[in-house]
Amino acid sequence: MPPPLIGTSKSIERIRELIEHVADTGLNVIITGESGVGKEVVAQNLFHESQRKNKPFIKVNCAALPDGLLESELFGFERGAFTGADRKKRGKFELAHEGVIFLDEIGDMSLSLQSKLLHVLQGGEFAPLGSEKEVRTDAWVIAATNQELEQKVKKGLFREDLYYRLNTIKIYIPPLRNRPEDIPLLIDYFIEKYSSQFDKNRIPKPDPDDMEKLMTYSWPGNVRELQNVLKTSMVIGDWEEIIHDLYLKNQSATPRRTEELALKGASIVDVLLDFKGDYSSDQASFSLKKITKKATDRIEKEVISFVLDKTGWNRTKASKILKISYKTLLYKISGLDIKSQHKL
Amino acid sequence: MDKPSKLLIIDDNREILSIFKDFFIKKRYEVFSASDGLEGLKLLETEEQGFDLVITDLVMPNISGVALISIIKKRFPDTPVIAITGWGEHPEALATEAQADQVLEKPFELSELDRLIKDLLSQKKN
Repeated sequence: MPPPLIGTSKSIERIRELIEHVADTGLNVIITGESGVGKEVVAQNLFHESQRKNKPFIKVNCAALPDGLLESELFGFERGAFTGADRKKRGKFELAHEGVIFLDEIGDMSLSLQSKLLHVLQGGEFAPLGSEKEVRTDAWVIAATNQELEQKVKKGLFREDLYYRLNTIKIYIPPLRNRPEDIPLLIDYFIEKYSSQFDKNRIPKPDPDDMEKLMTYSWPGNVRELQNVLKTSMVIGDWEEIIHDLYLKNQSATPRRTEELALKGASIVDVLLDFKGDYSSDQASFSLKKITKKATDRIEKEVISFVLDKTGWNRTKASKILKISYKTLLYKISGLDIKSQHKL
Repeated sequence: MDKPSKLLIIDDNREILSIFKDFFIKKRYEVFSASDGLEGLKLLETEEQGFDLVITDLVMPNISGVALISIIKKRFPDTPVIAITGWGEHPEALATEAQADQVLEKPFELSELDRLIKDLLSQKKN
């Protein structure tokens, strides 16, 4: 059985529905989302729901191998194809015949390999290295990436034709911070899972206060981070300590925090006026009005970004929370150049 | 009087969807609409009598128009599909590969789309 897809948020419900409807189509799928959101779990669920479930599920991490090695991993080689090829090796595409080939981190694939992959996707055929004969494969291609492939296409780093071919079905998994309602269920699941493994070190469920803190934490490493925290919790056994460590670790790792510290410290003038250290030549930049405006802008940008992030960029909700009109919010978003980091 | 033909229109741009809907209702079609591929697929699966013709945008979130065309051609091979594209040649080529009956590039006149629908429906009858 594949690991279950846990959550009751709308986005997870939607993903479950998508899996149910597309698992038997055999059409190319691309799964996107930040690191640690569970892209492989979705791929395994797709596989398990399909009629291919008793066939192989072959995973290839496209970022883990250098180009030449990845090519021979994917397509295989004939004996004598290159120095050291003393025997024939079947590629993952051949091994995944009638099953699934899961191409993780597809955004890291080189342009030359992308064109070979495109060739397989177009005709279902490929030639192993050193072979003149094409091999037919009926592998269902499920790819995954945490990168913005659209941006890579614009920059010429990802083939547009391959992008559209992979994008036949797209499943986006939002980060955990945008679906906090899934956090208690995930915690229950991992407590249950690890309790049986670490049976001497049971941890109680978090009390409501601790749960609230766990739900408002930003989980930059998503479900994988939560899973690791739960594993650690089995050893530490104390939620208060775990939460304290979690917030401490996250604060020091967040660039936003560094900026805040800079603003609070002696360099506030430097930060707000972009001084390069030579105050005498920059006297023209001194203006209380200017500093106040700049400081207000920065604070407004931080706060609005925070609220938009928490509301999943629901501008109506955000304007209500901020107690400003919808129009003002839109004006601030464009004026302060606030951008969504995790656009749907 | 003949029973009106039943159209399913799928487009993630709600504005376009509502323009299409209004236009074809006035033209006396029975119109169903969906704002993404998954909703469209659900309608196709649940509508007992099926649809006489499907019009779909190509680039959409979750299930793309290309995927929908492939699924329709496999499960409902007699249902003609018109693909609408505004995004260059790649999705258009993919739609043709997926055997869309017609691919129409934006911008176009609604009357042109209406004419294509009539042609495909009469071909289907014959």
